[in-house]
Amino acid sequence: MTFFLQMLVTGIVVGSIYGLVALGFVLIYRASGALNLANGEFVIIGPYICLILMTAYKIPFILALIITLVFSAILGLIVERLVIRPIQNAPVVSVIMATIGLSSLLGGAVHMIWGHQTRTFPPVFPSTPINIAGVIVTPVYLWSFIVVIVLLVLFSLFFKFSKMGIAMRAVADDRQAALSMGMSVKYVYAATWTIAAVVAAVGGVLLGNINGLSPTMSAIGLTVLPVVILGGLDSVLGAIVGGFVIGIVQNMAGGYLDPLVGGGLKDVVPFIIVLLILMLKPHGLFGSRRIERV
Amino acid sequence: MKSRSKVTSALIGIMTTALMLGACSDEKVAVNGNVSERTVVIGGLYDITGGTGDVGTPYAEGEQAYFKYLASKGGVEGISLELKGKDYAYEIPEAQKIYQELRDKEKVSAVLGWGTGDTEALRQQVANDKLPFFSASYSESLKNLDESPYNFLVAASYSDQGRSALKWIKDNHKGSNPTVALLYNDTAFGRSPIEDIKAYAAEIGIEVVDEQIVDVRATEAQSQLLNMEKKNPDYAIIQETWGATATILRDANTLGIDTQFIGLNWASGEGVISIVGEDIAEGYIGILSHAMPYEDLPGMAEVKEYLEAEGKTIDDINQKFIQGWTAAKILTAGIAEAAKKHPDGDLSGEEIRSGLESLQDLDLGGLGAPVSFSAENHTGTEQTRLGIVKDGKWEPLTEYFSHKD
Amino acid sequence: MDYLVVEESKGCEVVRNLFVRESGNYKTSYSDDMKMFGTTGSKIKALLIVLIVLSLPLFVSNYWIGLITLCAISSVGAIGLNILTGFTGQISIGVGAFLGVGGYTSAILTSTLGLSFWISLPLAGIVTAIIGGLFGIPSLRLNGLYLAIATLAAQVIILFVISRWDGLTGGTAGMVLSRPTIGEFSLSSNTGYYYLCVIILLLTVMYATNLLRTRTGRAFLAVRDRDIAAQIMGINLFKYKVMAFAISSFFVGIAGALLAHYTMIVSPELYNFHVSIQYLAMILIGGLGSVFGSILGAAFITLLPVGLGSLIDILAGFMPDLYQLFSALKDFVFGAAIILFLIFEPGGLAHIWLNIKKYFRLWPFSY
Repeated sequence: MTFFLQMLVTGIVVGSIYGLVALGFVLIYRASGALNLANGEFVIIGPYICLILMTAYKIPFILALIITLVFSAILGLIVERLVIRPIQNAPVVSVIMATIGLSSLLGGAVHMIWGHQTRTFPPVFPSTPINIAGVIVTPVYLWSFIVVIVLLVLFSLFFKFSKMGIAMRAVADDRQAALSMGMSVKYVYAATWTIAAVVAAVGGVLLGNINGLSPTMSAIGLTVLPVVILGGLDSVLGAIVGGFVIGIVQNMAGGYLDPLVGGGLKDVVPFIIVLLILMLKPHGLFGSRRIERV
Repeated sequence: MKSRSKVTSALIGIMTTALMLGACSDEKVAVNGNVSERTVVIGGLYDITGGTGDVGTPYAEGEQAYFKYLASKGGVEGISLELKGKDYAYEIPEAQKIYQELRDKEKVSAVLGWGTGDTEALRQQVANDKLPFFSASYSESLKNLDESPYNFLVAASYSDQGRSALKWIKDNHKGSNPTVALLYNDTAFGRSPIEDIKAYAAEIGIEVVDEQIVDVRATEAQSQLLNMEKKNPDYAIIQETWGATATILRDANTLGIDTQFIGLNWASGEGVISIVGEDIAEGYIGILSHAMPYEDLPGMAEVKEYLEAEGKTIDDINQKFIQGWTAAKILTAGIAEAAKKHPDGDLSGEEIRSGLESLQDLDLGGLGAPVSFSAENHTGTEQTRLGIVKDGKWEPLTEYFSHKD
Repeated sequence: MDYLVVEESKGCEVVRNLFVRESGNYKTSYSDDMKMFGTTGSKIKALLIVLIVLSLPLFVSNYWIGLITLCAISSVGAIGLNILTGFTGQISIGVGAFLGVGGYTSAILTSTLGLSFWISLPLAGIVTAIIGGLFGIPSLRLNGLYLAIATLAAQVIILFVISRWDGLTGGTAGMVLSRPTIGEFSLSSNTGYYYLCVIILLLTVMYATNLLRTRTGRAFLAVRDRDIAAQIMGINLFKYKVMAFAISSFFVGIAGALLAHYTMIVSPELYNFHVSIQYLAMILIGGLGSVFGSILGAAFITLLPVGLGSLIDILAGFMPDLYQLFSALKDFVFGAAIILFLIFEPGGLAHIWLNIKKYFRLWPFSY
């Protein structure tokens, strides 16, 4: 039973990281209808900044985090202005390709600036594991779980009540209509990229605290693709629930099925789930169905 | 529209220039070849920007450093050696392109390679092209001379490292029969020694109770470790790179698993300690196939001389640097032998191979285990040693030994 | 009989001046319009291209022949992908795995079963086509990015199966292949293999260009432009979507087999996600839906890293200590090139080529 509980809890806390990273995908998709394949790079740039601020300039974590988030916001803005806006009317495939180019460009930049070696955060979270009734969790994971829940609540409120949130929903729903209602779609796009970059940076900082930082960490960007598909590409709730589901299923499969097939299922099982889900629900668990008109 | 077409043409201009540059540097004639001084060009495949860049970069630096040092000494046996290396970003197709370039454009006579996947992928080609190939991957399958007549193993193979670890367990385990688990990743590199380790374990009476697969990029390995814990092995042998090793050690610490972990050579080294922290790394055992920079060894004199000339100290390098340096040193020794045998003309890959095959107990001054090659045997050595982390530093646990001793 | 005369007179023009091209559309019959090589000029041009391609090994070094062979192989794959993505509008980011299926099929057939390369090459295409068609079935319900990710899932699952089916595929260690032979003559030299790949590329180009002129090709385009409208017009969506997947995978499989015999090895690590992305980049940079663009794009993506590599070597010659920095610069410039292309020339290389042609059509009197 402890084994099961441990798998469950590990799944949930790992899933919360997935959810955070997936959130970045979803926000961008809602706005531009494109998959941001540079999300992984967005995830790693933030923590690098935070790390440098903390180690080279000896700035306390909270302050460093705030500066990092501001920086990420600016990065998001720049990317939107220089890369995405010029091609916003191009086919979706072109936008995806641009994000692929962006990932290569940002990845190269990270390499040039910070080099190849794995860097580690000075201890921010206590490293002694917490033991709850035989189930063990590290504080970092617990924190990421809290952050993801807080973000979920915040975003729900944001999309429901704030003017900007409503504008974002309107643009996501029908750009033409939003434009003709006098909304500044440009402004909305810029805001979306900014928020997405900030969310990615938060995820990155947590991830960096778990396993150190190296340029290869950007692979997380792809690891979470099944999460977004499972939850539905345009659903914030979907991203987070999808994160938990994938995290749990991954660990359950690792725990119970790995011994049967000789291991290695953890990385494959999310994709098998994706294929199955897509057969049953082509738009994910929470994704909205588009009504096609000819 | 006008400015757009201008930018487009500028773009095309730049691209064409880049391609032309590639074309222009083609077909250069070996100017030095005609002068009395002989030149041997050696190719290098590095991983700097790819998945294993963390260890690939210092390794590449070590190789480059050795040839720079050699040039400052005026070459060897009247031959000046030139290293032409490129980053292939751990992508096998890219490695193949670069290999073609090294072979056809740079006209190299030997190649210093890197990963398991690309070494395997190039194995047949280097045999066809008759170019001696040193890899940083010590796959047991490269011992097979029929399949890979031009590959040389410059340190104990992964399988031999695993066997040595088992031998050490057998000799040092206190109490009843020791049990072992294996942790590796699902790549050619990860799986390379597994069957051999299992066979040897059965031979010397150690029970392999469990195997778990942990991805190279894994950020957690709890389900695997909990499954492993059910079998309660005394030891677990890790065949991973630094990142995944750190993940395993940290999660084992989190879950309170008291198995003694033993890493093969890529799972040991400074990186693991710095990622995982001194406390968790304490007591971790690993294969130290090559010297640590801070070890006081005769072979370090050259390295220190080089570093001084560059205005650096031993704190700027790590064990993987030494490993690259050592590989380059062994190749150079082989070339020197070949040069003695063939005093005139350019040295071909075949001649370098026979030069390498005449090396007997080449003393590396402790940087690595002494190597010998012969026409029937390209396994440089079966000797390796174990080290343990004490107070955040690797300390040798054994001397170089072979599991056959 | 009427149009024959027109054609003859045009032939005279060509003899007079190669640069003067038809200045309007004089086509008087449907079959005339459908001609692949409408004018004697274009016939001569096609012949010329074939001749240049075939005589290339006489002029350029072995190194370049190797590179061009790789370009030709990727072109076959890129044309295949373009049939799916460019013609039919179904995004696939699982090409890598289908290359792998082709490569492994040929490896198993030649190395394990001892069949001849000439039988295993088409079989590799057919097996890949079947598996591609199978993974194309979900495309009926999925569209856009959901489908793209389903193909990514297909890639992960196929590679997992390959690396686990030890008995058949040799597991993670992969399999060794040999170069094909014609009678006693082995194509182990670069030049021999170059001819093989180039001929297959020419056949692929012929097929793909012709495909567009058939009912199937037009059906593909209709599906791409508006699948529901196409269905209403009587196009069987299921049939054509699966067919597009199968045809596309056939060529990808052929490319995979060619690549496998060129490098003489297959292993799961050769066919990762990065490869899929590269192929997608080829057709996007080359031009979606353009056969010629696929070739340009394949050449561009294959050669750009090589060119940048040489550039870095030159830079590193001046500043050897910065080699690491320059290596990362390669990624940076590669990404920047893709983005700049998309911003300034969304039609891809094929469109640039058209513009250049248009410019020279009226040159030197462009106004």
